[in-house]
Amino acid sequence: MMDEPQRETALKFGSYAFLLAVVTLIVVPLYWMIVAATIPQSELFSSSIPFLPGTQFLTNFEALQNRLNFVRTIWNSTLIAVVYTLLSMLLCSMAGFAFAKYEFKYKEPLFYFVLATLVLPIQALVVPLFLLVSTLDLLNTYLAVILPWAANPLGIFLMRQNMQSLPDALLESARMDGATELQIFYKIALPTMIPSLAALAVILFINQWRLFLYPLVVLQEEAMFTIPIALSQLVGAQRVAFEQIMVGTTLAIVPIALLFIFLQRYFIKGILAGSVKQ
Amino acid sequence: MATSIRSELQSSESYQELSDRLRFLRQNVSSVVPKIPGLPYLYISPFYLLFSVFLLFPTLYTIYLSVFSYEGPAGSEYIVSIQAWIFELTIPKISNLEFVGLAHYESLIFSDSVFHLSLFNTGFIFLIQVPLMVILALAVAIVLDSKFIRAKGLWRTLIALPVATGMVAYSTVFLLLFEGDVGMINQVLMSVGLDAVPWLTDRWMARITLVIAITWRWMGYNMIILLAGLQTIPQQLYEAAEIDGATMWQKFRFVTVPQLRPVLLFVIVSSTIGTFKLFAEPFVITGGGPANATLTVVQYIYRQAFVQLNLGYASAVTVCLVVIVSAISIVQVRRGGAAQ
Repeated sequence: MMDEPQRETALKFGSYAFLLAVVTLIVVPLYWMIVAATIPQSELFSSSIPFLPGTQFLTNFEALQNRLNFVRTIWNSTLIAVVYTLLSMLLCSMAGFAFAKYEFKYKEPLFYFVLATLVLPIQALVVPLFLLVSTLDLLNTYLAVILPWAANPLGIFLMRQNMQSLPDALLESARMDGATELQIFYKIALPTMIPSLAALAVILFINQWRLFLYPLVVLQEEAMFTIPIALSQLVGAQRVAFEQIMVGTTLAIVPIALLFIFLQRYFIKGILAGSVKQ
Repeated sequence: MATSIRSELQSSESYQELSDRLRFLRQNVSSVVPKIPGLPYLYISPFYLLFSVFLLFPTLYTIYLSVFSYEGPAGSEYIVSIQAWIFELTIPKISNLEFVGLAHYESLIFSDSVFHLSLFNTGFIFLIQVPLMVILALAVAIVLDSKFIRAKGLWRTLIALPVATGMVAYSTVFLLLFEGDVGMINQVLMSVGLDAVPWLTDRWMARITLVIAITWRWMGYNMIILLAGLQTIPQQLYEAAEIDGATMWQKFRFVTVPQLRPVLLFVIVSSTIGTFKLFAEPFVITGGGPANATLTVVQYIYRQAFVQLNLGYASAVTVCLVVIVSAISIVQVRRGGAAQ
């Protein structure tokens, strides 16, 4: 039988070993991607597999920038993903709050109907969506990609599930203090839900950021390309520009990493517990 | 003597006050109905407005198309024809529709063996991959939530990064890892004297390769959601359990799992739906092969719609898929909710 400090040490050691194993399996392919982005393509397929990053990143980036205006592409992707995320967070948290905390007629059918569309594969909706977007004269606009999944079934489901854990007593005491229903939503519900909102923001941003098939159809002008579409242009019949693809992919991952790091402080422990105690 | 009476009086007064307040509170708590009628509809209307235009309409249109047969355009009436990378897709002008009733559904249910195989493949991935990934994600989330782990943000970010890789990068990386004798994994295996594994050419190995790829990409994403859920569990519950002498397993079983149930349900349901909507991974890594062993339902829809231009048939497959996945999700939500 181990004593308490020994068990604690074993637990710490085991936890770190486990994390390290998981992270290694995940990071090796990504690391290799960065290596491929920083070396000339001739070295990429040489007999000795390169293990260390090279110095060609800027050269490779220049080639990419000259081929497609990649700075413009990054701007397109960023603008679309940011506006989409904010819009969708607002819609989903409002609706999720209503479903979690109010009683109203047709509540269940309305909710389950949206939930049912969660299972619709994007690929299957491309044809009707394309027809719709071209009828609305939105082809080759940012709105064509921002609007369709702003009313996000996944988002409304997540917000409803989380808002249910919001204590009724908390909302009640605010009501007794004279808060209006709207104030209860944005002064009590939203701040308490910050960890969930942060998680939702990450989900929405990433979903939009890597969308491929649908934007490919509705954004056909090169000036409107998002990152995934731009990268797919680099795969030609004769030559695949691996080093340029890897530069583009490495750059595409940076905003996601920043998003995680930036949202970290919102994943604070015990926000919910704190507001119940008061 | 006098003071003791006074204090008794005071306390009875405050007791009265307290019980009044409590009654008032209770009345209010029982009535969750808001003071403004129609308010909930105001909250949900922006969502439902966009939903109706961009999701409901395309859905209804899909159902409508599923009872028609489309025999290809007369001449070359294409609205869109795109060739990019491994994608060749065409959207024809919608005309020449012929009403066929439920004929598509009949052949889907009774005779389309490729559809049945695609359902089997998708079901297999669902049964293996979802439990594997959720357990792994939960384990990582719990470890990351423990007090002694340092640089949590760094770990979390690294583990979730694969989600950000797009289709092109994803396929390039996985082909370089798994393809034939030139793939890095087989090179490593052969260099230590082992046989190369037919990752992409054997039916079952190809399915397993897909499970590995999907887990690599999505585990961190689900871990982030579970971690956010873990952090909303009040710390007092763990403290109370510790005072009662609960072991680590008991704390997990009787505090973490019940408290995490809504979030866990979310992760399981969305992963389930995710596997049934699987498209990118098989499309770029295995191409649905070998011999359709990794062909998923959505890949089949894509093939029918954009390559063979059977828009009506593709719509019928979509409707079938939606019915099947809805049924599974409803069972999951009911069971997950009922156990509370």
